[in-house]
Amino acid sequence: MTLRVPNAKTPLRGCAATLAAMICFGTPALALDGELVMINWLGGAQGEMMDKLQEDFEARNPGVTVRNVVPQAGGDARGGIRAVLMGGEQADLLVNTWPAFRAELIEAGLIVPLDEAYEANGWGEKLGESWRALSIVDGANYGLTYTFGDRSGIWYRTDTMEKAGIAPPETFEEFVGDFAALKDAGITPISVPAKVWAHAEWFESLLLRTAGADYMARLAAGEASWTDEEVKAALSKWKEMIEAGCCDDGNTMLALDWDISVDAALKTGDAAYVLMGMWLNTRAKQEYGETPGEDFDIVQFPAMGLGHDDESMVDAKEFNVLSSVENREAADAFMTYMLTADAAGIMAEYGLASPSSDVDPSIYDPVIQRSVDEVAGASKLQFVLGDLLPGDLGSEYRVALQRFLQDPSDETIDMVTGQLADVAERAY
Amino acid sequence: MALAADIQGGPSGPPSDRPRTVGRRQLSDTQAAWLLLAPLLIFFGVSVVFPVIETIRLSFYDIRGLAPARFDGWGNYSTLFSDPNFLRSLRVTLVWAISATVFSVAIGWGLAMLCALDPRRTLVFRIMIFAAYGVSEAVSGFMWLGIYRPDYGLLNGILEGVGLSGLTQPWLGNPSTALGAVIVAYVWTQVGLPLMTCFASIQSIPKNLFEAAYIDGAKPASVMRHIIAPLSMPGVRVAIFINLLNSLKAFDLIFMLTGGGPVRSTETVGFFMYRESMLNFKLGYGAASTVILLIAVLVVSIPLILKRTADAR
Repeated sequence: MTLRVPNAKTPLRGCAATLAAMICFGTPALALDGELVMINWLGGAQGEMMDKLQEDFEARNPGVTVRNVVPQAGGDARGGIRAVLMGGEQADLLVNTWPAFRAELIEAGLIVPLDEAYEANGWGEKLGESWRALSIVDGANYGLTYTFGDRSGIWYRTDTMEKAGIAPPETFEEFVGDFAALKDAGITPISVPAKVWAHAEWFESLLLRTAGADYMARLAAGEASWTDEEVKAALSKWKEMIEAGCCDDGNTMLALDWDISVDAALKTGDAAYVLMGMWLNTRAKQEYGETPGEDFDIVQFPAMGLGHDDESMVDAKEFNVLSSVENREAADAFMTYMLTADAAGIMAEYGLASPSSDVDPSIYDPVIQRSVDEVAGASKLQFVLGDLLPGDLGSEYRVALQRFLQDPSDETIDMVTGQLADVAERAY
Repeated sequence: MALAADIQGGPSGPPSDRPRTVGRRQLSDTQAAWLLLAPLLIFFGVSVVFPVIETIRLSFYDIRGLAPARFDGWGNYSTLFSDPNFLRSLRVTLVWAISATVFSVAIGWGLAMLCALDPRRTLVFRIMIFAAYGVSEAVSGFMWLGIYRPDYGLLNGILEGVGLSGLTQPWLGNPSTALGAVIVAYVWTQVGLPLMTCFASIQSIPKNLFEAAYIDGAKPASVMRHIIAPLSMPGVRVAIFINLLNSLKAFDLIFMLTGGGPVRSTETVGFFMYRESMLNFKLGYGAASTVILLIAVLVVSIPLILKRTADAR
């Protein structure tokens, strides 16, 4: 049986709610069917994970076939997604991880609000307030977060700590103080991959600890200036780390892509720490064959005692429903499925965490459990800054940080913050 | 033979207007020529002319992300020429195109002259060199990434092995060496073409010239200097033309090795266009930079094409 609801605002809303409730309780009274089209750019292990989730969803809903539209893009997938959308491709769902891109889609009228679907499908009961808030724009909710990552977590190999005779740091002073011991053991304390984007992670974590999530949100929205003392203070802290011997020389950092740094920290042990997203868990488990919690672990960015130590930076992936949606029932059902414990089980196999409260945290490995606990216990969550910035500013921001790494002096700090302020003025 | 003469309009004269039979209609030579050319012209129009016109049209619009386009007149062009990033990309493109062309053609020409001394024994060598030209730039990029890696890279490893560890450095991370390093990798991929065009040119030199030179007691170096080098010039000119155009369009290798960095030191106009169009998604602005690149390509290629046409006549 086919139930077609061309528009969520039609009187058939109640039917959708009933349908969703039946799906939730496993009553196969009404079967979904048709094709569910998803713009899906995920690759590697996350791509495999999505394939498995789709297969599981299809097995539970034999009438539905999921078809992926794969945008062609190297690097940043947004270019490919835009090309697909501008080419007039029909799709029901879009996998999205960039809040700035969500804003662009809303402005172009390409995605629809999900508030009614939240209510009808009970998604709000499964997602905490902070997860819901991440996808709210001007009072309306446009996304359903299905996985998240702790971006304030620093990754390390346990045997590296043993080799240097140190413990994972709790305070910034301990962190910087341990650099000497690591260097004595022939280990580079931090591998900073500054070739493209990953060097920004360190600046953002420093800004979170020194200025806090509220300030970062204002900076991302263009309501604070890049020449503010808060930005300069975060860069000065980074300068302090560099002067303490945290890293390779500037040019080496600029030559490193993220995978080389991750290999150095989690595979070969040439470096002690790397700061990046939760996909490192998948990489270490599946590609290096390591055991989470035993061979490698994660520690929250060290406390600085400036009033923001319990705040966390996160990334998240969400589904947006496109305005070209043709199979809204299947789209809603798929998003409902993504918040189930079964879907979380598949995600956990790949080292990723679900924000759903239906999930028993014991399914996670120790590393995911630790990061889930940290995020759940955070007083404030801040989305990764780089993904919040509009296009021009996002590019210039990473180049400005490269300039800083080449010459981390006060003059450079003044120069790059001034340049960023100029670009920001035109970008908003 | 009769057919060939028919197609060419006779062995000596221009195409005749003798009618051709197509179905029941009879076509003149001119009509038949247009008919035969039509599929190619349609394909060329759809795949080249239309995108070029569309790009020129877009360059007059302010398009940001998925927002509606707004006509901006010459706005994108005036912004481009005051954008330090674009001006830097022009300089990088100039250095890149000249260096890549000069080195790849000079090396290819030199190798071709050496190979010409014993064509049979150098066959495998020529095939190996030309094979690099056939390998995609993306694949070459992966290989050169391994060579230039700052930690376990082959180049630094060799330098350390021969006691020159003072010269080791992050080749792709240092803005002073990154462009040179990418040019070296690019020349490696491109040298096969000049080798083949120059070698073909040398092969077409009449054998009696060599025989006369050797009878007169000329040494191989002298033969190379006075016969092979000047008479292989047609091949060199073709190589310069193709390599220059290829280098102006180059993108994949730069994308693989540096992504335009560090600090935009390897960002050519082609890469600038990609960044603006696909990463910042300012399609109009990116299109304007494409038009500038197109003009540069035309400025370079039209005189060369006219010269070649005149030479052929």
